Amino acid sequence: MAEQPTWQDLLDLVAQLNESNFESASVSYGNISVQLSNSDAFMGQAAAPVTAPAASAPAAPPVAPAAAPGAVAEAPTAAPAKPVGETIDAPMIGTFYRRPAPGTPEFVQPGDRVEADTTIGIIEIMKLMNPIAAGKAGVIGEFLVSDAEPVEFGTPLATINTNA
Amino acid sequence: MTDKPVVLVANRGEIAMRIIAAARRIGASPVLAVSTADADSPAARAADRSIVIGAAPAGQSYLRPEQVAQAAVQAGASVVHPGYGFLSEQPKLCELLEEEGIAFAGPRPETLRAVGDKGSARQVAIEADVPVAAGIEIEDVDNVRHLGDEIGYPLLIKAIHGGGGRGIRLVHNGDELAALAPQAAAEAVAAFGNGALYIERYYGKARHVEVQVFGDGFGRAWIFGDRDCSVQRRHQKLIEECPAPNLSDKRRQILHDASRRLVKALNYRGAGTVEFLVDTESEDVLFLEVNARIQVEHPVTEEAFGVDLVAAQLRLALGLDPELPEVGPVPAATAIELRINAEDPNADFMPNAGVITALSWPRGPGIRIDTQIEEGYKFPAFYDSLMAKLIVRANTREAAVAAVLSAARNTHIEGLKTTLPMHEFVLTHPDFASGPVPTSWFGPVWEERKEFS
Repeated sequence: MAEQPTWQDLLDLVAQLNESNFESASVSYGNISVQLSNSDAFMGQAAAPVTAPAASAPAAPPVAPAAAPGAVAEAPTAAPAKPVGETIDAPMIGTFYRRPAPGTPEFVQPGDRVEADTTIGIIEIMKLMNPIAAGKAGVIGEFLVSDAEPVEFGTPLATINTNA
Repeated sequence: MTDKPVVLVANRGEIAMRIIAAARRIGASPVLAVSTADADSPAARAADRSIVIGAAPAGQSYLRPEQVAQAAVQAGASVVHPGYGFLSEQPKLCELLEEEGIAFAGPRPETLRAVGDKGSARQVAIEADVPVAAGIEIEDVDNVRHLGDEIGYPLLIKAIHGGGGRGIRLVHNGDELAALAPQAAAEAVAAFGNGALYIERYYGKARHVEVQVFGDGFGRAWIFGDRDCSVQRRHQKLIEECPAPNLSDKRRQILHDASRRLVKALNYRGAGTVEFLVDTESEDVLFLEVNARIQVEHPVTEEAFGVDLVAAQLRLALGLDPELPEVGPVPAATAIELRINAEDPNADFMPNAGVITALSWPRGPGIRIDTQIEEGYKFPAFYDSLMAKLIVRANTREAAVAAVLSAARNTHIEGLKTTLPMHEFVLTHPDFASGPVPTSWFGPVWEERKEFS
């Protein structure tokens, strides 16, 4: 019943990932954990590069009854329509405001250049107002939420082009 | 869209599933507050909608009252059910909700304060003429020997603001007390944010017996019998049963009457449990604390008495009649619950996380499974290790023990180590089968077993 992943299993997993809309996948085979990702950001992290086929399966780990080669893929990392490019995401749940107070001008507009510490909006939670910084430098693309709209933790607020 | 009232479920795992089911039962719409780690959980899919309130660690999500309250507002909730643990006994969440005009399916903030602090709870109990164990608050952790002499040994050091069985240390003499009190205070600060301690006489051969209460908030009290939760490891319950076995009518009466007096004294609102220590040697019955929430083990009471306590909590919070019957002191049936944890009983109960690769549950009359797990579910490492509760009901204790043993043997979970082998060990042990065991029983007996897997 127990299976170690073979090189072919891992190639199948990569193929599945490429064909799907998923950005990353994580599978455990007993004590072995395999993580794969399409995202550039991933390369800065843990996992050792997958070795070439010449090296056969990892040296005899204790094998527990393990996942069949059917991969367990993580869900897409954002809500249904994931915008193309980078986003500024809500760091908290609450009501998002584009402007400091009713009747005042919005903090930033699409096309504005911002620094990481530029305030792009406010999120109000339980009557507390929290300024929201862009978090990265670049040019604001478009806002994905409107003034006074409720947002959740992680809701994309605006697109930003950090290469502009 | 819908004019069903919305219930914001502020918890996760099996109890979130339980509350979602109760919400549907009463015709309400369940909305689940989730951390990012639970955004695609079975409970999230079972709810009508889920709202991401914060990052995976509980301290950034489930333990943040403002974030939960905000989710309730955004969900258009009429009531928030906090489950157990997390914020269920935190006055802050209750107060934030009151400000928003949202009901809390639990006691009032002042009740939570009165019984959340063990020192104050003891005071309430004493004033309600409820028998309590001899205990004293520690004023100065560096000057404790005289307190130990007054209480007598062995004794327990407890964190006044502790809970869930944590922050308790056993002390045998004055030297140990003097050495351990400062350490215990430091640990309590780290774990509960408050280093206040008290010491209590320890009864080595005592049973943990608790009474399920329900109050309407205006002095009316329902008593739903008692439970025995003495099979424990390091103060964590493993197996619970309803009713408590081998309890004389007289002692049962003392426990139930004392609990009723407490509910009335507090104008207690909602579901709660009054915990007692029943000393097997002296026949003493002593108040320990009030748990002002629905508890993990509530299903054994529901099954034994045929009631839905969680639905009652929601109804009461919505201003409706809780629809609970008046019942006698002893239920018609016996129910036993096994907590199945993602821990390896043969590796000192080391927790593990990972994907559940195969899962099948036993079936048959009187079998109930409370869980969120399903085949393919990736059991997370962020939260507690409770995977599922297996509850079996039968007409007698003997039949219930046999039935739950059979159910455990016919439960198959693969991909993780679980505590099922430990349950099989306890259920087949002659001490357990022949009657109630004290809380001191499990630890030594488990250590001395031959490997049971």
